Amino acid sequence: MSDGPLIVQSDKTLLLEVEHERADECRKAIAPFAELERAPEHVHTYRVTPLALWNARAAGHDAEQVIDALISFSRYPVPHALLVDIAETMSRYGRLRLEKNEHHGLTLTSTDKAVLEEVLRSRKIQPMLGERIGDDAVAVHQSERGNIKQALLKIGWPAEDLAGYVDGEHHPITLAEDTWHLRPYQREAADAFWHGGSGVVVLPCGAGKTIVGAAAMAHAQATTLILVTNTVSAHQWKQELLKRTTLTESEIGEYTGTKKEIRPVTIATYQVMTTRRQGVYRHLELFDARDWGLVIYDEVHLLPAPIFRMTADLQARRRVGLTATLVREDGREGDVFSLIGPKRYDAPWKEMENQGWIAPADCVEVRVTLTDQERLAYAMSEAEERYRFCATTPSKNRVTETLVRRHAGEQVLVIGQYIDQLDELAEHLDAPVIKGETRIKERERLFQAFRDKEIQVLVVSKVANFSIDLPEASVAIQVSGTFGSRQEEAQRLGRVLRPKASGGGARFYSVVSRDTVDQDFAAHRQRFLAEQGYAYQIIDADDVLASE
Amino acid sequence: MNAEFTDWLRGLKDDRLCALVTARPELITPVPAHVEGLVIRATSPSATGRTLDRLNRFALAVVETLLVMTAEDGPGLSYGDLRKAVARSVASGGATRLDAPLREAVDRLLVLALVYGPDSALRLAPGVRDVSESPAGLGPPAAEVFRHHPPERLRELIQAIHRGDTGREEAVPERLAALLAEGGIVERLLRDVGPQARAALEELAWGPPAGRLPNAWREVSVATAQSPIEQLLARGLLAATGEESVVLPREVALVLRGGQVHRDLHPEAPPLEGADRDQTMADRTAAGQAFSFVRTVEELCEYWSVDPPGILRTGGVAVRDLKRTAQLLDVPEWTAALVVEVAHAAGLVASSAPVDGEWLPTTGYDGWRVRATEDRWEALATAWLASDRVPGLVGERDDRDRLLNVLHPELRRPAAAEVRLRTLHVLASAAPGLAPTAPSVRERLAFEQPRRKGAYRDRLVDFTLREAEQLGFTGLGALSVFGRALLPAATPSSVPDPAGPSPTARRRATAPRTPTELLVPLLPEPVDHVVLQADLTAVAPGPLTSELGRWLALAADVESKGGATVYRFGEGSVRRALDAGSSADDLIAMLEKHSTTSVPQPLRYLVTDVARRHGRIRVGTAGSYVRCDDPSVLDEMMADKRAVPLRLRRLAPTVVASRSSRAVVVDSLRAIGYSPVAESSEGDVLVTRADAKRTERPSATRPAPGTSGPEADLVAAAVRAIRAGDEAHQARRQPVAAPDGQVPRTPSTGTVVALQEAIRQGSRVWIGYLDSQGHATSRILEPARMEGGYLTAYDETRAAIHRFALHRITGVADVN
Repeated sequence: MSDGPLIVQSDKTLLLEVEHERADECRKAIAPFAELERAPEHVHTYRVTPLALWNARAAGHDAEQVIDALISFSRYPVPHALLVDIAETMSRYGRLRLEKNEHHGLTLTSTDKAVLEEVLRSRKIQPMLGERIGDDAVAVHQSERGNIKQALLKIGWPAEDLAGYVDGEHHPITLAEDTWHLRPYQREAADAFWHGGSGVVVLPCGAGKTIVGAAAMAHAQATTLILVTNTVSAHQWKQELLKRTTLTESEIGEYTGTKKEIRPVTIATYQVMTTRRQGVYRHLELFDARDWGLVIYDEVHLLPAPIFRMTADLQARRRVGLTATLVREDGREGDVFSLIGPKRYDAPWKEMENQGWIAPADCVEVRVTLTDQERLAYAMSEAEERYRFCATTPSKNRVTETLVRRHAGEQVLVIGQYIDQLDELAEHLDAPVIKGETRIKERERLFQAFRDKEIQVLVVSKVANFSIDLPEASVAIQVSGTFGSRQEEAQRLGRVLRPKASGGGARFYSVVSRDTVDQDFAAHRQRFLAEQGYAYQIIDADDVLASE
Repeated sequence: MNAEFTDWLRGLKDDRLCALVTARPELITPVPAHVEGLVIRATSPSATGRTLDRLNRFALAVVETLLVMTAEDGPGLSYGDLRKAVARSVASGGATRLDAPLREAVDRLLVLALVYGPDSALRLAPGVRDVSESPAGLGPPAAEVFRHHPPERLRELIQAIHRGDTGREEAVPERLAALLAEGGIVERLLRDVGPQARAALEELAWGPPAGRLPNAWREVSVATAQSPIEQLLARGLLAATGEESVVLPREVALVLRGGQVHRDLHPEAPPLEGADRDQTMADRTAAGQAFSFVRTVEELCEYWSVDPPGILRTGGVAVRDLKRTAQLLDVPEWTAALVVEVAHAAGLVASSAPVDGEWLPTTGYDGWRVRATEDRWEALATAWLASDRVPGLVGERDDRDRLLNVLHPELRRPAAAEVRLRTLHVLASAAPGLAPTAPSVRERLAFEQPRRKGAYRDRLVDFTLREAEQLGFTGLGALSVFGRALLPAATPSSVPDPAGPSPTARRRATAPRTPTELLVPLLPEPVDHVVLQADLTAVAPGPLTSELGRWLALAADVESKGGATVYRFGEGSVRRALDAGSSADDLIAMLEKHSTTSVPQPLRYLVTDVARRHGRIRVGTAGSYVRCDDPSVLDEMMADKRAVPLRLRRLAPTVVASRSSRAVVVDSLRAIGYSPVAESSEGDVLVTRADAKRTERPSATRPAPGTSGPEADLVAAAVRAIRAGDEAHQARRQPVAAPDGQVPRTPSTGTVVALQEAIRQGSRVWIGYLDSQGHATSRILEPARMEGGYLTAYDETRAAIHRFALHRITGVADVN
């Protein structure tokens, strides 16, 4: 009996014993073809999915390597059916290739005639194809390059896109590494993307994805379109680019609700791009406004569906997606794979934390016991009102206030979903609120004040979920959330994960009402955070209050 | 009956007879009375066919060669001539390696009594010729082909063939056949016809020998022949056998074949081809599969004991139920079907009742469940080996377009067990670690049993390979050591096979280690600890000891299975454990005891939090309740001694619960003197259902025929019995001549007395007897019994036992 660190389960999950002496070696071997699903303290779970296998194929690994890695690290015999399945799945990638043909333009070629026949018969794919060129190739309409990749992935024959990229309009961009330097993993990520052509870089929040984007631009040396989630984030990208690259103010344009500048480097928000007037996307021309050499998608896991459709038409341009997680709440991971590209770089949070690039965090769930009156009211409330009721119960306020007091002197963020609750809290805590209606200017002023430690407590709604750099927030208190969304949790945690000047750890509280749906949702979050490997503990609100 | 064959058989030594009936066990079921009985049975078409079925391609080719080279009543063929004939057919280069296989094949045919006689004149046993249709793809001999041609047509043909023929000789098919067999004639005729005609013949030369031709009986002669085919018909190179069919006569085909009976004959079995695996790796993989198969069967039984599928009217399990089961077991449907069938074959599940029943685990399952994994695997594997059912057919339709469900009675296939065993023996004959490809296994089986090949058997082979991998007989396609050890020794019928087990296989077969002993060290060792994590999971890094396994199955939900098991604790699962009687402290103590690391705080919190709320509401069962608005009445009732048997319990001042049923309580209270009224069942507490159901285990399945030969002592006893019977038969066989002279006449009283005396003394008597036609005959008898006016006696003049009517016996005299 071998004593490897890996146990292969029949449901295609891999269990990796972290304390095992060969664990590190094993992790490196399996990371290319298995997605890290859970990383709690002792046993990490990886999952082998078709997408992960195809990602591995795209990165140049073959089935032999994958099977060899499984067999040599596995403690128990690997189920034969699983090995067969892996070989079979991996062999599906690359049988079809999109290539550029001198005479026929874009063509779909195949090494396997039977596969091509199967594809030709598919009703979904037929309309995208042109005339047949010989036995093993068929012309593809130039405009369908993205759509056909999407459709082929859906029927299980992902195509390798070898049709190349246009260079785009040349524009000199260099990194200005005077006071800082690219971290090794940032360089690796940018290089991996560049060699792969297009694809997604997965880095945890706070790991400096913006800089990876800048490095990618330095590789491309071309005009760049950057798509970000919202205006604040657009500003931050601009600040960051000015600081990290040779680009000047006049070279960077903002394309947002208020400004419509088109410059060699243009930062646009998803919201503007998806605005429709009379059923027409008004700002689509931005994609054609310049001969972009690179398109950067920030927070790929949030990419809205219309952008996917637009991206389908941008297949000739280099694309890089940046994200903290490939998990999409809508399950469209396949579209990310086929339209933006395969995963090019991935580093687990814990590793980065151990290396000191992101701050360690402690997660604490505080359970508030409702008063008898509240319980009765909760039991009688309508189903759709229940969550709101228990999430905003007044009992929470006292606990939150106590927690804030406990962390007096530290930078504290209070995060919530419901505006009424936030307003009330802000009043009690005597702290400013940032919510949807807060104007951009005001938001930025408050953030700056927070950064400068002029104000120590800031109450924010979900508008702050993404891409706002709050370097010195060391405590976050979450009072209500969006029904336990995993992805939201990752973002909120990201708020406090920026490395602190003091080098101290971060603390992430969730205040939860006991015995209610709030607790059920909290269980999802707890699971997610524990799976991410964060220390998690549950305490009673009474203990918090008693410690006063 | 063929006297020569009978004599040859009788002349065999006992050990040879033993070998014969061991190889052909059907000859002694039931044991024939004497050697002639044995001959009749051995030469019957069905028995001969069955024996031919067991021959490999080479031995069959030897039979066919003998068949072609000798005539029905003609002389035998010497071994040397046979060798020459076979050597002609052997593929180039193979002739030098011919001797050993040919000797072996001939010896085997002699053992099987398909061929008899000395080496100088080997002959086919009677009956062989009759069951061999178109041997080696050859058509019937000319004599047979032209039998139904009219004489004038035959005369024309003979003239066409033999130009000098004057027609004086008789125009019979035999004459035509003799001409075609004569050296050089067919060659000359072939030169006469055109190349097109010759090409047409070449098409038929290697079989099948028959072709279709419209208006086959047409009148053609050499002069009038138009088309190439007509040229052939006119010369007897092709003969009509029906309105629209023609056949190539055997003599012509042999010439076309250049004297070869077979083409590219290989005396040895084709080699097995496939990937080379590391045997250790294969064993480990197989053991892993064996382990998971056992676990899957257990899961199946557990699911079905709680939620059993109903039995369809046609028998079997509904498609929907199979789908659901497959989903629960997390396996593809065909695997689920296999699991169900194997569990059934091993007697672990059975139908609870023939009508409106359910498929339930049997009492045998409870015994099986507590055994060690290796023993459980052996039970399943043995059952699968012997089963005559084909799980691979599930989901298909039979010839009558009925859907074949899993456990459907029509899944039985007589050949299933035999093909399965043969396939595994082929795997066993491969070098250790070789994973033979399916085509090469099929090829080998086609060599071993050429008369039995076919798409249907090929499918059985494919099923076997697929299922063997699932069960862990094979790992990565190569036979595992424990799988090899479990295989019964090769069947007697295939022992002296040219393609017998390899030396390694023989060595292993004699190794004293049992399959379970070989399997044990390969199975993952049970562990008694788990790894607890903050995400509320527990990872068992191997199979758990049974106590811990059961406890975890109760207190946590299984999330993922395989080499390890991942359990997840949740509110529901913790509550389940509390329901089962554990306290929060018990649970935490158990976790602390079996965890290699400290119990994570969230898990500890979860347990105490669930326990906090557990049991606040109490629910009990009662047979009935009594309520009364006046508590004093209930006080009185509770105090009444006569109410004690009702086991009343006061739940509240105005409510009393009883363990007895409503009817009993009502009746009892009436008897005491109250006048209660029964209430409707609304509000009654439902009694939780009884424990998981069980049904009786069916009687053990008999092993399918053909899987093993008869026992050696049985064979010996059968041979002794035949010998004894035969000697007795031989001794009395010849009828003695009826004595000459005057038929004895005695008075009837004297007759009876004389016969009684003869019975007492066991002596022979001479009697006169009037047969049923009234003719007076004379017999010599050995009287045995006299009753009801009849004498039973052995009649030596007829060599048989007869009953004689006393009133027709004309007289009795002493023989001497």
